[in-house]
Amino acid sequence: MASTGHTNLNAKLVLLGDMGAGKSSLVIRFVKGQFLEFQESTIGAAFFSSTLAVNNATVKFEIWDTAGQERYHSLAPMYYRGAAAAIIVYDITSVDSFARAKKWVQELQKQGNPNMIMALAGNKADLEDKRNVPAEEARLYAEENGLFFMETSAKTAVNVNDIFYELAKRLPTAQPSQSPAGMVLVDRPAEGFRAGCCT
Amino acid sequence: MHETDVHDLSDDADYAASVQQGLARMNRSDSSKQSSSGEQEGAEIVFLKDNVAIHPTQYASERISGRLKLIKQGGSLFMTWIPYKGQSSSARLTEKDKSLYTIRAVPFSDVGSIRRHTPTLGWQYVIVVLSSGLAFPPLYFYNGGVREFLATIKQHAYLVRSAEDANVFLVNDFQDPLQRTLSSLELPRAVSVTNSPSSAGAPSESPSSWTDGKTFDTNSALAQQNASQRQKHNDPARDLSIQVLEKFSLVTRFARETTSQLFREAQGDGFILNDRRKHDEKTHDYPRIADSNDVQKLPEDVPVPADPLEFDKLSLVWGKPRQPPLGTEEWSAFLDSEGRVTDSEAVRKRIFYGGVEQDLRKEVWRFLLGYHSYDSTYAEREYLVSVKKSEYEMIKNQWKSISKEQAKRFTKFRERKGLIEKDVVRTDRSISFYDEDDSPNIKCLRDILLTYSFYNFDLGYCQGMSDLLSPILYVMGDESESFWCFVALMERLGPNFNRDQNGMHSQLFALSKLVELLDSPLHNYFKQKDCLNYFFCFRWVLIQFKRQGV
Repeated sequence: MASTGHTNLNAKLVLLGDMGAGKSSLVIRFVKGQFLEFQESTIGAAFFSSTLAVNNATVKFEIWDTAGQERYHSLAPMYYRGAAAAIIVYDITSVDSFARAKKWVQELQKQGNPNMIMALAGNKADLEDKRNVPAEEARLYAEENGLFFMETSAKTAVNVNDIFYELAKRLPTAQPSQSPAGMVLVDRPAEGFRAGCCT
Repeated sequence: MHETDVHDLSDDADYAASVQQGLARMNRSDSSKQSSSGEQEGAEIVFLKDNVAIHPTQYASERISGRLKLIKQGGSLFMTWIPYKGQSSSARLTEKDKSLYTIRAVPFSDVGSIRRHTPTLGWQYVIVVLSSGLAFPPLYFYNGGVREFLATIKQHAYLVRSAEDANVFLVNDFQDPLQRTLSSLELPRAVSVTNSPSSAGAPSESPSSWTDGKTFDTNSALAQQNASQRQKHNDPARDLSIQVLEKFSLVTRFARETTSQLFREAQGDGFILNDRRKHDEKTHDYPRIADSNDVQKLPEDVPVPADPLEFDKLSLVWGKPRQPPLGTEEWSAFLDSEGRVTDSEAVRKRIFYGGVEQDLRKEVWRFLLGYHSYDSTYAEREYLVSVKKSEYEMIKNQWKSISKEQAKRFTKFRERKGLIEKDVVRTDRSISFYDEDDSPNIKCLRDILLTYSFYNFDLGYCQGMSDLLSPILYVMGDESESFWCFVALMERLGPNFNRDQNGMHSQLFALSKLVELLDSPLHNYFKQKDCLNYFFCFRWVLIQFKRQGV
């Protein structure tokens, strides 16, 4: 999969979604392979980076994980400005969080980078018995709005790597490498891609 | 409240009087400024906006409304903001408060920049920052007009949009702020304006030290700076003076020079030489700052007021052993026979340098957080505790008594409860005090936060509050007492949680100005990396370094 002489891409990725939907848990599962049952709330925003190999390119995601509370909404544009990709996260047990996810999609469609690749993540898929958002409804919504959709579980790791990988694959390979916006706080060496994908 | 402020006040007799008063004041200050030329040309009002308000507290209802004007006189542009007379939206605001905030004929030659805030929700406001670093409180344009305001300035003064931040307009595009402003440095007011002038003494214990007395030794210089800034808030006149800034720069420089010293030592420079150099720097510390910023003329005559409460210089030197924490015996020596703290400054200074023993925190934090006043007696405090206990129960009952049926029709309540419940179960769960799944302490956090969101319904609940409450509950152990300590803390920190982020903005802005003055290479690095908004410090400031140093 990873061959020599391939292109290197830097891509800014932003996570948006309701408070407690599991944005930080998804990133931490992806970047560190860890999961905390009681992941502390994100104040302001958190930054991570992770590199993965896809097709003939190496994609370095610079990930901005945002605070979910409505009160911090006004900070969000700073983080999604110039983003090449976004994951909008909701909690499959919460109808409200799905409604909020739709609002984020609208906002990004209106104000985000027009070429932004968007993914919709129905997180906490392990809580099937508490499900309140039917997968079909979300899938339909995603299709209508040009997003790709996956149900994920940061707890069990289901589809977590896949959603990031899928985003990386969809990035236009011709996209010029952009310099990171903001300061790099955590820089992790390339680890390649851990879990299997598309199989 | 709203209606009285919203309608136009130009017909109001009191208001007219205040305008006269304002003009008279302005003329006075002008004539004193221009006494040499003796100009007495008529002033031309080029911009006038009513219902421009400042918010001295976090409550928008306690705003002071007034009239903002741009006046052209003798080729110079001046700005005035005069509060309306006799128009108090709250009993807590006195005429004295108003005159404190009045802006009397500021010439634009003194203005450094104007920061524009146009939040999607809430009112537009601008923050006017003088070249000296002093910032006026945010001016809220209740009737709009920020764009017009800036456009008018542009017609009459040099105004240019900052390359770094589209919302910052530089008025006098100064190349070297240090050069222009050293003699009148009053920068920290940019911080203090966000705090109510009557705010209680700040705790100077590091918030990261609450679980046990041992962890604080890892204190960072930044935390110290932060704590000492807060300690100074009470007295704006003695807000971080140039002296303190000087000492901060000492810290910065020590960090920087430790590295270069290592190199020097490796090159065979004697230790003694380095040691002497260090001492030289301590005594001639000011010119060195100036050197590093290429200031040619050293302002040797900068007035440095003698301040007995200032830190002694040596205490900020790296490696000085920290004092042992304040113990019970020493504490009781600070109290008079009836239990009053006779010298609160001394107590806070002592705690700043050493912290407090775990067992004593329960008692001392009530003072530090501002719940108990230092001049209260044992008897008064005992009484207060019992009164406050029943008051707490009363407020708590306001939400306790909401039935399921009522809650169904009370979205705001359900939402708030939901937010709080999501956060308390993930606050400090690694600490044994909170680690059980059905911990009564988690429930207690929830109850206090929910009660607070009723006590201060306008502010409500905001992420970060649970982080601030958690150590308080851990130390106090008692629900009602923790609530009132938290209330007192939020009196000070409330503006940080405002929807429009104005409290955070002015503090991050002040921080950027501090770094610009004290460590220009770092400032330039941030500038280059496009992070002069200092949002990477957001969490540190919002929850007072609480998640650091674990």
